[in-house]
Amino acid sequence: KFRTQLDNRLDGPWDSREKIVAFSFDYCYWSVDPEDPKYASQEVVFQDLGTSVLSGAFKGYNICLFAYGQTGSGKTYTMMGTPVSYSIHKLFAIFLEIYNERVRDLLKQSDHKKPYTLRVREHPETGPYVQGLSQHLVTDYKQVVGLLEEGIAKRITAATHIHDASSRSHAIFTIHYTQAILENNLPSEIASKINLVDLAGSERADPSYCKDRITEGANINKSLVTLGIVISTLAQNSQMFSSCQSINSITSEGDSSPMSSHTTGSVSGTRRQAYIPYRDSILTWLLKDSLGGNSKTIMVATISPASSSYNETMSTLRYASNAKNIINKPRVNEDANVKLIRELREEIDRLKTMLISFELVCINFFSTGPIVMLSVVAEAELSVLHLDKYMLNVTSSFFEECPCCV
Amino acid sequence: MAAGSAWAVLCEKFRSAQSLSAVESKKDPETEPYRSKYGARQLLQEIKQLLGPEEAAEAGAAAAELRAVRLAALEYELGVNHTETEELSAGEEHLLKCTRLLEPRRLSRACVSLYIQAQNNLGILWSERDEIKTAQTYLESAEALYNQYMKENGNPPLDPSEHFMEEEEKLTDQERSKRFEKAYTHTLYYLAQVYQHLEMIEKAAQYCHTTLKRQLEYSGYYPVEWALNAATLSQYYLTKQCFMESRHCLAAASVIFSQVGQAPSAEDNEAEQDHQDLQQRKAEIARCWIKYCLNLLQSARKLLEDNIGELDPDRQSELKAQRKKEEDEKEKRRKKAVLFGTSDLCDSVLAMEEKVSCVCPLDFKEAREIFLVGQNYVQEAKEFFQVDGYVTDHIEIVQDHSALFKVLAFFEEDYERRCKMHKRRIDMLEPIYADLNPQYYLLISRQLQFELADTYYEMMDLKVAIGNRLEELDSHTVKKINSLAQLAVKYYELFLDSLRNPDKIFPEKLEDDVLRPAMVAKFHIARLYGKLITSDGKKQLENMQTSLEYYTFLVDYCEKYPDAVHAIETELELSKEMVGLLPTRMERLRAKLCPFT
Repeated sequence: KFRTQLDNRLDGPWDSREKIVAFSFDYCYWSVDPEDPKYASQEVVFQDLGTSVLSGAFKGYNICLFAYGQTGSGKTYTMMGTPVSYSIHKLFAIFLEIYNERVRDLLKQSDHKKPYTLRVREHPETGPYVQGLSQHLVTDYKQVVGLLEEGIAKRITAATHIHDASSRSHAIFTIHYTQAILENNLPSEIASKINLVDLAGSERADPSYCKDRITEGANINKSLVTLGIVISTLAQNSQMFSSCQSINSITSEGDSSPMSSHTTGSVSGTRRQAYIPYRDSILTWLLKDSLGGNSKTIMVATISPASSSYNETMSTLRYASNAKNIINKPRVNEDANVKLIRELREEIDRLKTMLISFELVCINFFSTGPIVMLSVVAEAELSVLHLDKYMLNVTSSFFEECPCCV
Repeated sequence: MAAGSAWAVLCEKFRSAQSLSAVESKKDPETEPYRSKYGARQLLQEIKQLLGPEEAAEAGAAAAELRAVRLAALEYELGVNHTETEELSAGEEHLLKCTRLLEPRRLSRACVSLYIQAQNNLGILWSERDEIKTAQTYLESAEALYNQYMKENGNPPLDPSEHFMEEEEKLTDQERSKRFEKAYTHTLYYLAQVYQHLEMIEKAAQYCHTTLKRQLEYSGYYPVEWALNAATLSQYYLTKQCFMESRHCLAAASVIFSQVGQAPSAEDNEAEQDHQDLQQRKAEIARCWIKYCLNLLQSARKLLEDNIGELDPDRQSELKAQRKKEEDEKEKRRKKAVLFGTSDLCDSVLAMEEKVSCVCPLDFKEAREIFLVGQNYVQEAKEFFQVDGYVTDHIEIVQDHSALFKVLAFFEEDYERRCKMHKRRIDMLEPIYADLNPQYYLLISRQLQFELADTYYEMMDLKVAIGNRLEELDSHTVKKINSLAQLAVKYYELFLDSLRNPDKIFPEKLEDDVLRPAMVAKFHIARLYGKLITSDGKKQLENMQTSLEYYTFLVDYCEKYPDAVHAIETELELSKEMVGLLPTRMERLRAKLCPFT
């Protein structure tokens, strides 16, 4: 990993002030002019990103590759350029589009009047899925590209029917990859998914669970239609985080949870848990476990070098920079810990006293031999169990033998 | 007569413009999204022409007055039209012209509504420019104007559209009032958003609440949507621990939702989908109720617990005495401020509220009542959110159910019964955990692993406490304690295993997000091995050795990655102590096992 500083110095009629804004990303490519010595070709990008995608999928990771950026800045180009060049075991592909929280199949002829009718459901064994989505068996790279092209063509023609749909919709192309392996001499399967996600414009593209950015896009609306969003944002933002983290409640890093400020052990604060009946977007729902967890996520932000795109470029970079934090975090329930820590402290104190008194005993009663030593040790051992009665019963015989220890 | 018919032409034009803008524009093709809006604009400008230039006002103050107001109404329409077609600057100009014309007469019956609506639109316009503070100024001034007008005058004011209506078409006072109130509701709703953007959260909530309230009063709402919004608002109040307000929202949500007629028999696809949606909303409101019950119980627990999380009897009697005195009055006063609805609705809401308390329960009996209400809603929510199709939702509900049992157990004095409650948690969590594919539900899987581990730990602790009370610790109890401890270890280990990469290797360096959970799991396992009971000395040595290894892991890890220290300071400190003490103890034990070597 290396860090890149992006120098956004712009001049021209847009803004004559000098502005330098720095963002850090893992990789940074210049793919404008092939003649440029710094030019990064598709091959270079693939070497850096694509190979890790493939080796990850091969190992059984779910992979998610997001492309985000201004229309025309090369999102689709980046996606399309990823060649699938490894030996194929068992692959099938799906291609879907999410528009206005509705899903449609990009690889199947659908009803023209109501194309977005598919529902997202979840299965405990196979995860979130789109009901009724067509699956296509693929055996080579050509077929994959064929399907991609078919779906993209469909998206474009649809754009003339649905106002502005392509710039406001997300598309997800998923390759399900299954390898048969032998584990402990038993046939077994490694299944993984590669998701290529073409994100829509910023106002709908938030894969974080962060609500305030959704309303940022919605802004102030002319009707009360969005009252629900306003209220749910309210409820979402007011969820209280105390220093007590709970694995019962997983939240995204986007919120202001004070991960760094826990006062471990001594707290018993609780986190207020509310239920917000407005669902997070279908996109996040479908990709739930492709974000964070046992998956690898790559975000490609494409930007244009034109000064006229300054605003879009800035918002893209800001977005991409935020996206680095979109990882779901498990939190630890501290209820049990508080008790345990107190108990353990007591035990440590007791052990220390025991060991000190043991040394005293050794000095004073060394002549009486190992029996005395034994009794002291036994006491130390058993007190640890916190079973006072048990201890009393078992140790009473020792106490009789060695009254000095009482 | 000529003047009369000329006026009729103007009115007709105005009406056409409005219909173009409001109705026709929805049918505009995507290639020309603003075609009808531009058409409307054209008409409005024609009317403005026909009204003639300002100076040409022939005779009389009354005529000039009338003309000015009409012009203002036109400027308003033009302003809105430009804003809607993304020409903000022109829109602003027209709206400002409108308010300038109305300024001196803004408190009159003819102008107040128009003025408020112009300010609403200026508010929207500035918020679109991301100048929230400016938007706030306009909207707050609209709010103030409404209040002033209602105080000083209060008669139903003219609707802006009436300025271009013939006398016989003019609206009834009832309709005028309705439209005026609606405009004001919008003011409040925009203000709610403005306050939210300015992070004035409490104020935002208050305005949302008022908006909901006014929707009810003026019947401007869809029941399902309203119910869902009220239920959502209840969740905001929950996080603020305002249980009375939260319950009120929920009760109102349930009552309003019950007024929705059931969708006609599910024959075609669409009706089926509507039916599904309705069921889902119902289940979602139930889930809000579950959270209500859960949070109320948890709040009570927080009030009552001592420093190790047990019920503090002194605290309990103190709070009981205190409650008698104040609660009632305080609640009544607060309640007035938020009450929803007209009188008949109020009764239903009150009846709904009576089913569950909104004050913190202080003993098992009270806690149990709330628990039972919560449990009923768990059943209701699960009817829709079934495992097949709604895995995440279903599990979240089960987790809440488990949490309800957990907090109820806090109020239970009898250890055996308390243990049984935890067993119920195990019984509901274990099977769903077993069915879950961690590849797709890793995070939930991990939550369940941790919760199962903690629950087994809790049960083991209870068994130990029960054992302590016995005359003699029987082998059955010892066995039970050990098996519970081992199960707790098993689930902590499963959690740790989930961190392994696909090659089954435990990560050298833990990611920040799992660092603390992983360390806590290691720490708990270390402790659990220290708690296993055995009379076999060798076995005991082995357990101590394992315990030592886990404590050592924490110490070594933090030595290698000092960054990790801040996440587990206390655990690290204790682990270091144990790493220092355990070997000596083991040494002694070894000496005891073979004393003569």
